[in-house]
Amino acid sequence: MADDKPELEPTVLERWLTEQQHWQRTVMSYVDSLVKNDEFLVHLGNAMRGSLLAGKPYPTQPSADATAPQTPADDKLDQVLFALHKIEGQLVDLRLSLDELRASGEKKKAKKRKDKDKD
Amino acid sequence: MSDTDRERELEALLTLSRRGRAKVERLHEILTTPGHFGTGASPATVVYRENKLRLLRLLDETGEPRRGPPVLFVPAPVSRYFILDLMPGRSFAGHVAAAGYDVFIADFGTPSREDRFADLEYYVSGLVRRCVRTIAALTGQSSIDIIGYCLGGTLSLLYAALYPETVKRLVLLTTTVDGDVQGGISWVAHRMGLAGESYDEPRLVPAVEVKSWFELLAPGSNSVVGRVSDLWERLDDPPERLRDVRTMATWVDDVVPAPGRLLAELYRKFGPGRNTLMAGTATVGDRRIDWSAVTMPVLSVSAEKDTISPPEGVDAIVKIVPHAQVMRLPGGHVGIVAGRAAKALWQRTVEFLST
Repeated sequence: MADDKPELEPTVLERWLTEQQHWQRTVMSYVDSLVKNDEFLVHLGNAMRGSLLAGKPYPTQPSADATAPQTPADDKLDQVLFALHKIEGQLVDLRLSLDELRASGEKKKAKKRKDKDKD
Repeated sequence: MSDTDRERELEALLTLSRRGRAKVERLHEILTTPGHFGTGASPATVVYRENKLRLLRLLDETGEPRRGPPVLFVPAPVSRYFILDLMPGRSFAGHVAAAGYDVFIADFGTPSREDRFADLEYYVSGLVRRCVRTIAALTGQSSIDIIGYCLGGTLSLLYAALYPETVKRLVLLTTTVDGDVQGGISWVAHRMGLAGESYDEPRLVPAVEVKSWFELLAPGSNSVVGRVSDLWERLDDPPERLRDVRTMATWVDDVVPAPGRLLAELYRKFGPGRNTLMAGTATVGDRRIDWSAVTMPVLSVSAEKDTISPPEGVDAIVKIVPHAQVMRLPGGHVGIVAGRAAKALWQRTVEFLST
């Protein structure tokens, strides 16, 4: 019968070496994701700001021209563009009103036809 | 220091290192796992588009719209719509749809620079009205149920007062009507200088600025150190819990820029010291709001721990619409709509819609 020798527990130093290898693997998994996944850098950047926001960078102060016009011409252009959006909406309102009118006209016609058939 | 002491110290450091590594590994796992981030959970089709707005119609398991009564969800235009359809099993809109309703959600999208000129009238008599008209045309129903959340509730309430014949029932979730009640987002915005926002020469208020107002209401969330420390603590949670947290965090942090003209108008009309909603002198464009026109059934829900819309300011609706049913739920502004205990609200809403 072979002797059941108790396995020697690794020393603290040995366990530290193992831990270091684990850390190397962890760091490599991050590097691997950074190389393979374009979005990972954005997500990691968000996490470093304490956010788990996915899909886009954490909001930061945008450049001045992103929020306000740089010149009066830009301002006018923006106003024209927004006026066009409003007109787009008004045209939809007009189309919807015409559809409603047509539908109510058809209803009336159908009712008249029904009444005639009854007579 | 003896060898034993030194060994004990190394052991302690080793334990710390292992715990830290486990958190860093969990973070990697969470950041690389797909989930419901930034989109609704329920299958849907876009039935109407205008400027940045998309009107979504939820579909059933066979990819067809449901045949039940139409319901329109109106979220706040300064945040993203998907809080109302957060993730499978945690979707307010999905719950209402599963009860047989034909559910529509207005996604106001992300405004760009030219949208800084958008005002209250553009939202209420423009976007919301055309959503309702489109739904009416699609379903053949001349009046529909509307559920408005936060500022989306304000838009819905104003809409209901202006076009009451098109609203069957109205549900308002954490919708402030009394701007003089202290606290909440309007007071923070007031202190942070919203009073200086120009109506005539508006800017597109950056998302980061809008976000800073909300952050001031959640202690710790306005400092990077506080947020990182919170996240580090959370990394002990199980991965599935963290995935849920990430879905919610994505909504919380995905604030959109806001049209300056809209904010200036909201502040000037409904903000602290102005309070025209309560005074009965509110206007949208050149139309005066008459609360006596709001005759449809109204349910207003406030949240006990709401720091964004204080419950007293929400429940005050009974002073202007006396027949409104008021309900106060335990929880916060977001929790009652999409948190773990949100089913109480969802069920109550479906009950209300079925009466």
